Amino acid sequence: MTTRDDIHELLPFLANDTLEGEERRAAEAAVAEDPELQTELAALRAVRETMRAEDAYSPGEMGLARLMRDVEAEAPQAAAPPRSGRVLAWQAAAAVLLVAVIGQGAFLMRGGGDMAEAPQPEGYSLAGAGAEAPFTVAIAPDTPERALRALLLEAGVEVTGGPSALGLYQLAPVEGVTPDEARGILEASDIVEDLTLNQ
Amino acid sequence: MDPHAQTLSQVAHGDKKALAALYRALEKPVYRFIHSRLNDPFESSDVLHDVFMEVWRSAARFEGRSKVQTWIFGIAYRKVIDLHRKRGRQDVTDDIPEQVDDSPDAETCVAAGQEAEHVRHCLETLKDDHRTAISLAFYEDMTYAEIAEVAGVPEGTVKTRVFHAKKLLMRCLSGRIERRVPA
Repeated sequence: MTTRDDIHELLPFLANDTLEGEERRAAEAAVAEDPELQTELAALRAVRETMRAEDAYSPGEMGLARLMRDVEAEAPQAAAPPRSGRVLAWQAAAAVLLVAVIGQGAFLMRGGGDMAEAPQPEGYSLAGAGAEAPFTVAIAPDTPERALRALLLEAGVEVTGGPSALGLYQLAPVEGVTPDEARGILEASDIVEDLTLNQ
Repeated sequence: MDPHAQTLSQVAHGDKKALAALYRALEKPVYRFIHSRLNDPFESSDVLHDVFMEVWRSAARFEGRSKVQTWIFGIAYRKVIDLHRKRGRQDVTDDIPEQVDDSPDAETCVAAGQEAEHVRHCLETLKDDHRTAISLAFYEDMTYAEIAEVAGVPEGTVKTRVFHAKKLLMRCLSGRIERRVPA
């Protein structure tokens, strides 16, 4: 037998639509004949909808780059592929993030100290790794990570090198994006302080 | 059918591409869950990183008795508890919230529940156990059995936690409207 207290306990799971079988039938029947439960269910559904509609930040690709670097560092030495002389795009992207969020928190600082020296991860790289970099750019020093990531995505470019001692980065368009398209977006951006075309 | 079972099996065999795929599929909800409990983006990012490192190290030990997503949320749940312990922060578990006789006005709660600022504020007033239960129920649409697996407690405990969380949330939302707190 299902008591009123039981129904109150089940109501959130009716709101998220995960109740099944007898419990669902009992909860639905109780709600159908009780206006107070109907209003409470409506309130719970409103809360759920509001929570799910919130746009959540997450570390995204930068977090993945950090993960891959540490996974690679854990791999047995024998399994590690020969070290490439070139900084791969994923490593550099994480390095950009490191610089971009300096002063905002510690997690990337702790995660990125030896990034340029990290071995190349097996089986994981960004699409533009190995491409020529037509642009050298200077990013505004206080740029938040989210803004930088949004610009890279909007312009369709990846970091293929840097930062240099002067804080400059090499950017290359990803497959399907022309240099002119990328350049137009980069030049229009407030966070790009300087853009130079590489010869 | 668990949509992530095959991918985790590949991770267990040392497939880094599979790990990247699993990360991309679950990073956002797992991060959101961690952040809902820590309310600090940088600490939450560290914990997320630790979670997926553990997935990488422990994938071979996954026995398939739960969904992969539930297993990973369980790792995240324990990582946050470990962090709280290191900080010396101890939320009292399962104590009954103070009893209040006046019931919140449900109609008012419907209106307040549509305002993100009210909902965010009221979620933050909940204790970790209560916030965890309501977050998993409403962000991730988990069943109470799945939440019980994540938290490692009996199903009845989850129902009780969600019940109290709901009650406190409704009281808080109703109070915000009655006090005319701007959304």
